[in-house]
Amino acid sequence: MTWRIAVRHRTGYHYSSAVRASYNEARMTPTSNRGQQTLESRLDITPAARPLRYLDYWGTAVDAFDVHVAHTELVVTASSVVETAGALDPVQGVGWDTVTTAYVVDHYAELLAPSRYVSFEPEVETAGLALAAEHPPAEAGLAAVAWAHEQLGYERGRTSVHTTSAEARVAGKGVCQDYTHLALAILRALGLPARYVSGYLYPITGSTTSSVGTTTIGESHAWVEFWAGDWVAADPTSLVAVAERHIVVARGRDYADVRPLSGVYHGPPAESLGVKVELTRLR
Amino acid sequence: MGSLFDGYYSVAYDEMFAANGAPHPHTKALFDALQLLSGSDLEERVAVIDRSMRDQGITFSRAGQEWIFPLDLVPRLIPTVEWTLIEAGVIQRVRALEAFLADIYGPRTVLADGIVPHSLVSSSTAFHRAAAGLEPANGVRIHIAGIDLVRDAEGVLRVLEDNLRVPSGISYVVENRRTMARVFPGLFLEQRVQPVAGHVALFLAALRAAAPAGVEDPTVVLLTPGVYNSAYFEHAFLGRKMGIELVEGRDLFCRDNVLYMRTTSGERRVHVLYRRVDDDYLDPVHFRSESVVGCPGVLNAARAGNVTIANAVGNGVADDKLTYTYVPALIEYYLGEQPLLPNVPTYRLDDPDVMHDCLGRLDELVLKPVNGSGGYGLLIGPAATEEELAATRAEVLANPRGWIAQEVIMLSTSPSLDGDRLAARHVDLRPFAINDGSQIRVLPGGLTRVALREGSLVVNSSQGGGSKDTWVLTSSPARKGEPSVVRPLPAPTVKAKAPDLGPRSDQPQQQQQGQGSC
Repeated sequence: MTWRIAVRHRTGYHYSSAVRASYNEARMTPTSNRGQQTLESRLDITPAARPLRYLDYWGTAVDAFDVHVAHTELVVTASSVVETAGALDPVQGVGWDTVTTAYVVDHYAELLAPSRYVSFEPEVETAGLALAAEHPPAEAGLAAVAWAHEQLGYERGRTSVHTTSAEARVAGKGVCQDYTHLALAILRALGLPARYVSGYLYPITGSTTSSVGTTTIGESHAWVEFWAGDWVAADPTSLVAVAERHIVVARGRDYADVRPLSGVYHGPPAESLGVKVELTRLR
Repeated sequence: MGSLFDGYYSVAYDEMFAANGAPHPHTKALFDALQLLSGSDLEERVAVIDRSMRDQGITFSRAGQEWIFPLDLVPRLIPTVEWTLIEAGVIQRVRALEAFLADIYGPRTVLADGIVPHSLVSSSTAFHRAAAGLEPANGVRIHIAGIDLVRDAEGVLRVLEDNLRVPSGISYVVENRRTMARVFPGLFLEQRVQPVAGHVALFLAALRAAAPAGVEDPTVVLLTPGVYNSAYFEHAFLGRKMGIELVEGRDLFCRDNVLYMRTTSGERRVHVLYRRVDDDYLDPVHFRSESVVGCPGVLNAARAGNVTIANAVGNGVADDKLTYTYVPALIEYYLGEQPLLPNVPTYRLDDPDVMHDCLGRLDELVLKPVNGSGGYGLLIGPAATEEELAATRAEVLANPRGWIAQEVIMLSTSPSLDGDRLAARHVDLRPFAINDGSQIRVLPGGLTRVALREGSLVVNSSQGGGSKDTWVLTSSPARKGEPSVVRPLPAPTVKAKAPDLGPRSDQPQQQQQGQGSC
């Protein structure tokens, strides 16, 4: 089953005095691949700017823009209509002999290595190797995601956007970004190529029926995909199945590759306007 | 009075003398001319060179101080037939490396076909994902390349490394020739030497040819990190010779993905950015956000096709020292040809067996950090102390991908001034290739670097090396309408076998300089 969802994602910055030059990139447009289709998308920028759209190395749509009029607030709103993929067929599990061939190890080298926010630690490696010894790859991957889920308690404010998987593990607390980084750490430690997925999650409420037509407040979300013969998606924050409620925007090694809004500017310290995501199920 | 060559002895292949002690045929005329000079003649000329270099401010900085890049007064000669090989070999190499870069930042067939491993690219710190899919206006990413060549004990020229990021040295080639023409006007009489003065104009033409489509009279600027950069002399020199603006990051800005420079008469659009700023500092939007020597937004301006960055961003993945080991395979893969210039025998240490082999005979090898440049971090096994060997061994074990090992090449030697004598000193050669999109040209000459310390094999300017004027000899007479290299004024008094008396005063020097289009 697929859903059609309208997404409105608003974010930006507030400055204490006027900023005259700012250079930014927005990764806020949902992708069209692996069963998901983005039917419409637009980006509104205030003050007005003329973005250059391109696909980055990871296949993510990027809008690059600069602002040269004096402003104290920069607001970027991405609106799109997406047909979600729904649950993908279960992967035909392959054995460890396939996953660990020299070809696979080389082909996915960048998704097997530690990265800026994904740390390699002996504790995580030990846990990962134990799972690899007990299960074939696809099951071991799901068990690893469950392991990451158990290590952390969901709590806002304990970690920041720059927290590494190792720091989150020590803190024992975090948000979806931290769950995702820790899951990537153990997946890579046990030898499964794994990538960060950034996007949105249509909130799970008591009743799943007749949510069509209502607008709910969603959030910017993150989960993982790992390779066990094919890509398997899993959500370490809630352990819900990745299906029609998940909207994919970007993929990469970790958060650094998928930042929804990033850039540089000349001016006083910025204050984030926060993120507002409205999701409307159309059908 | 003894000859300058008394006691001359080389432990390697010598660029001037054959094994039997006689000069090579192409160096005979130079040898004869030098024979007639005495140590005091040379000292006088050295003084002229020093004064000339100081006056012109030909310097580079090392460890925070300004140094003159010493010019050794004995030129290095390359015979026509050998130059033909160098030219063809360098062109072949640059063609293959251009194809590799276009592939890596595009369809990546070389990876799919298994010619080089994915991990070679993804683990290279010089591979920039931000440059993926970025197509330069005329397809050129290597507008200028410096290919370092060495000659081994058997006399075979080999490629030591490729420089495809911001290769420096072309200013020294031009200035060395100018200085030599002043100091040794007579020497040029007896030789047919290919001129170097046109190099800068060719390079400018290549930069202009790289402008975005439809721009008839492109504005080219040179972006320098500033006066504290080690190569600032060269930046200022090239800016002046090419007649283009020398700018710093604060002089540039992007608006709507178009690059402009600020001038006293307002903003002016820039079409080609010849940048002498490293990738990591070029654009804070994609690379180091704290950089103040770059220009935010310039990479996306290039992506939009509004400006061309020369050399292109991300070229380092092709001159990475690990990639170097694959260049012969790349030449075969992209061109279907065998390499004309072989590599130095090199070992990849990411293979555990190879690593243990190499660590077992570390004292016989040269170890190089993959991402190093300028000779920093280099270990020359036979010359290293036990502590140095142990330190490098530990570093290699910790990061095998970070190192390559090479057989020691006993670099060829060339007579160089040591006190009032000539002594054999090791040299290399960096020819420069210019790609304008329709043709790759190798500038006849190039920079010969010389290790001025006796026995040293490290020629980098940052490690106490000097340079030599490099003469590519030509058998054909000078083209019609072009003045001969240096015409003596007044009528020649220097006969074939008479000593070249050299400069005695400023006036004739200046006159000769005025004539000398070499």
